[in-house]
Amino acid sequence: MNFTSDSWIALLPILVTSVTVVATMLAIAIRRNHKWNATICVAGLNLALLSCLLALNVAPQQVTGLLVIDKFALFYDVIVLGAALATATLSFNYMEGYAGEKEELYVLLALTALGGLVLVSATNFVTFFIGMEITAVSMYGMIGYPHRDRRALEASIKYMILSAIAGAFILFGMALIYAQTGTLSFNQLADGLVSGTFAASGLLVTGGALIIVGVGFEVSLVPFHLWAPDVYEGAPAPIGGYLATASKAAMFAVLLRYFVESRAYESALLLDILSVMAVLSIVVGNVLALLQQNLKRMLAYSAIAHFGYALVAFVATGAFAVEAVGFYLASYVVTTLGAFGVIAIISTPIKASDADTLYDYRGQFWRRPYLAAILTAMLMSLAGAPMTALFIGKLYVFAASIDQRLWILVGAVTFGSAAGLFYYSRAAIVMFQRRRWVEPFKAPRNWTFQAGGMAVITLTFLMLLMGLYPQPVMELIKAAGLHAPQAGNLALNVLAH
Amino acid sequence: MLDLLFLVFLFPLLGFFVLAVSRGHISERTTNVIGIGAVGLAALTTALVGYTFLTTIPTGGAYTQLLWQWMDVPGFHPEFALRLDALSLVMISVVTGVGFLIVLFSAWYMHGEEGYSRFFAYMNLFITSMLFLVLADDLLFVYFGWEGVGLCSYLLIGFLYKDAENGSAARKAFLVTRIGDVAFAIGMWLLVKELGTLNIQDMVAAAHEHWAVGSGVATAAALLLLGGACGKSAQFPLQTWLPDAMAGPTPVSALLHAATMVIAGVYLIARTHGLFLLSPVAMQTVAVIGATTLLIAGLCALAQTDIKRVLAYSTMSQIGYMFLALGVGAWGGAIFHVMTHAFFKALLFLASGSVILACHHEQQMARMGGLRKKLPLTFWSFVAGGAALAAIPPSAGFFSKDAIIHLSYVSGHHGLWLCAIFGAFLTALYTARMIYLTFFGEYRGTTPDAHGHGGEVHRPTGLAHHIPLTVLIIASVVGGFWGLKLIDVLPAAPSGEQPMWLEALPLIVSFAGIAIAWPLFMTFGKTTERLTHHGFGNAIRTLWLHAMGFDWLWDRLLVKPWYWAARFGRRDATDIFGRAVLETGFTHANQLIALTQNGRVRWYAASIGLGAVLILAAVIYS
Repeated sequence: MNFTSDSWIALLPILVTSVTVVATMLAIAIRRNHKWNATICVAGLNLALLSCLLALNVAPQQVTGLLVIDKFALFYDVIVLGAALATATLSFNYMEGYAGEKEELYVLLALTALGGLVLVSATNFVTFFIGMEITAVSMYGMIGYPHRDRRALEASIKYMILSAIAGAFILFGMALIYAQTGTLSFNQLADGLVSGTFAASGLLVTGGALIIVGVGFEVSLVPFHLWAPDVYEGAPAPIGGYLATASKAAMFAVLLRYFVESRAYESALLLDILSVMAVLSIVVGNVLALLQQNLKRMLAYSAIAHFGYALVAFVATGAFAVEAVGFYLASYVVTTLGAFGVIAIISTPIKASDADTLYDYRGQFWRRPYLAAILTAMLMSLAGAPMTALFIGKLYVFAASIDQRLWILVGAVTFGSAAGLFYYSRAAIVMFQRRRWVEPFKAPRNWTFQAGGMAVITLTFLMLLMGLYPQPVMELIKAAGLHAPQAGNLALNVLAH
Repeated sequence: MLDLLFLVFLFPLLGFFVLAVSRGHISERTTNVIGIGAVGLAALTTALVGYTFLTTIPTGGAYTQLLWQWMDVPGFHPEFALRLDALSLVMISVVTGVGFLIVLFSAWYMHGEEGYSRFFAYMNLFITSMLFLVLADDLLFVYFGWEGVGLCSYLLIGFLYKDAENGSAARKAFLVTRIGDVAFAIGMWLLVKELGTLNIQDMVAAAHEHWAVGSGVATAAALLLLGGACGKSAQFPLQTWLPDAMAGPTPVSALLHAATMVIAGVYLIARTHGLFLLSPVAMQTVAVIGATTLLIAGLCALAQTDIKRVLAYSTMSQIGYMFLALGVGAWGGAIFHVMTHAFFKALLFLASGSVILACHHEQQMARMGGLRKKLPLTFWSFVAGGAALAAIPPSAGFFSKDAIIHLSYVSGHHGLWLCAIFGAFLTALYTARMIYLTFFGEYRGTTPDAHGHGGEVHRPTGLAHHIPLTVLIIASVVGGFWGLKLIDVLPAAPSGEQPMWLEALPLIVSFAGIAIAWPLFMTFGKTTERLTHHGFGNAIRTLWLHAMGFDWLWDRLLVKPWYWAARFGRRDATDIFGRAVLETGFTHANQLIALTQNGRVRWYAASIGLGAVLILAAVIYS
């Protein structure tokens, strides 16, 4: 594999983020100062974001057999880096009140973003696994960062144990596939299947199934979802936001690439398994959210349901499934980050616990009208109200699944939308009630002039823009489509039955 | 220059946005600059775009500005595009021009009121929605503006929300028009299902391709759109909300219920005329609805005692004329009347606002009178506006209404023509009554009543009061000479001959009405009053005062049964289903599934293992 200058340019986002990790660490070693350490991290992430533009000029680039930097990868790179930036800015004000040492959080954050970047560019099981583990390991540290807080610590340990188990499943699945085919590359896998080099066997599908188990855990699909509410609740609000959005979106992106490039897409059985998981996730996630009194837990359940919707779009292999999934994930990330952002701002500075029960939000509109309005807008978007980002996202899900006549999935999405309207509106209505003002949380008055506040305002504009003027984002996603290897007579379909 | 078109609605939208986020923390002066300035800029842009359009008419007589594609899924590609043709140019000129004058007048009327900037924010949002409605090239976006107009009318009618009555008037307007909106929405679904597009031009072209004249589905679609138009335009049988909507501040009445919102229905029918031409039944229905409404409203206006209610009924009846014109195929005549009506009705409403404030929020004509000398500008406003309303030459209203009456005769609808003639007589009668009672005779409100209304009249001052009235007086008098060239957009009116003496009849009945009104309500006013307060006269008067009893009728036919059904439904079978399945079922399901969330890591890990086993089983046994 020759390494040209174009390869270096294509790798820039990953390289810049790696440098950011090291630079932030060195900066802390030189002088421990929250503001300047955080600034280095934010500046580095911004540079990485800008370097995506440079990389776009040379995309697509296959860099060794491990990574491919194409438009698809760059699209998700932007999501991951954008989410990391929003999290960094939100964490800055949030962590101000933390008694311990707050600076290492940024090292971990840049590291987890790096994991996400590797993940979305992975064309090989090796990079797939490395990316996943970089993300997960730095996530343990971030979730348990306020380590004197029992809940955060508990969440961190739970996530660590369970994610290790899921990692083991993925690794075993990869091993099975390798045992059968002798290759770890998605493309070679597909080529071998098309040309008939590999004998068709159940081992391959079994390996695929085990990978689904692991990915199902990471994006919290039923029945691998149980960790999500506990971890979201325990994690500090900005970190919960990152966990709910960027790390899941990256995982979903790699699933998409794996399915398309290795042509696992053509296995009806795997799609059936995914369909069942989608329906279960939508139903269970929504039913659990119905009576939830804790906003963070509610968002966790709603995340379970939303990844069910994304999976529906994914399963509907129509002409525009990759588009539908891409738009859905982008709008979900923007919306959920915004919602967690408001929670983080209201909970700023860090305390024994975040403002997470619905009771904490009662009458919020009358005290903090803009924050309450933003949260309401985000909740309405999650519910799929017109003019918001997720309305368009959901429309694509519906259109894709109806187009493919997948009536059970359409039914599940319909049920989920109806149930969602109930609990999202309930959370929104609470903020407009006028009774018993308790104010245990005093969000800073000047939040609009703080970095985190600006991030939330930007997210709000982005969310509304995607609902009213989705065309630019749509075109980006269309340009960032994945191209499956040319069709051949594939044995997988037959072999599955 | 035409590509500036999008600025027309962008300016008021920005005005709304800035005023909305200011949360009332800005002064009246700043509010004026933003709120009035935004509408003024929109009016200037309209003038500029309109001038360019008229000097160099684009090919096909229309200019389409494609802004963006809203969504793109198989079988449905709504494009967000603005369409400027002669029809929408007239509409945006009316909305921004008259709208600007009304907003300017509001600065005088609302001075010192609570929620000053909120008021201007709503007004800006309203004008935005209305512009959106008339500029949109796709029925989906027409509907978007349509709903925006509905929302703003709710907000503005209930602007003085501390009085519960105003709140219920706002809800009534919202709900009654909503009935029409539902019909409109169903009509759109029908169109998109049958024709696959909501782009108005494509839709009409496809309709002509696939549907024969008089086909059932064309009639259904046209009637459903008509339902929407009846709601917004306060036509029979959905007319009951309009008089109550006078609860809003008077500039609101001028803007929403005279100059802009209520003509949305007329616009909708004119815009989709291609569809209506496919259905003679629907056309006939439009004409009959118009004639019915103009008679009902004309009679009701005669009995009203509140000056704003007289104007409300007169609006209803003038829109009846517009529907009549649409129904007989006089498309251009209807739009011409929309324009002149916007001039003189805005003038009359603003002038009535001037009277009301001068008399300390007194609205009863019984406690006015003799204001001619005290309020000269207001008086002349009423004379000019009233003349136009009663179609006295050479005012603007004469040209437009005469055209409608003439065309309804030559198109062969002689019965409807008779209604229109009788309506013209009624119009002159109630207009004259209103002016006589208010401005002639003795002032009857010298002592303030229990609410502090009435008392010493103080003359309005300030340019924000004088300029709009003066401009609208001029427009009402000479506005009719400015003929409209709508032939590119709308089909030609029917042509034919009419005997000379019939040609003069509308004029004769108008003068007759004005002449009869003086003895009827002034010289022998006491006698008339005595006659109408006893026996049969009283019954008729009460019936007309209460809008022919339609409120009562709908209350008995719809509201009461609905309440009854709701009370009945509280404990019925569907409710058992609701409680057992929805409430109990979901609560139990929630509790049951929540048991799995027990917080134990070993159980969580086991569930991962269990899931993996199930999936593997599926793989192995398939």
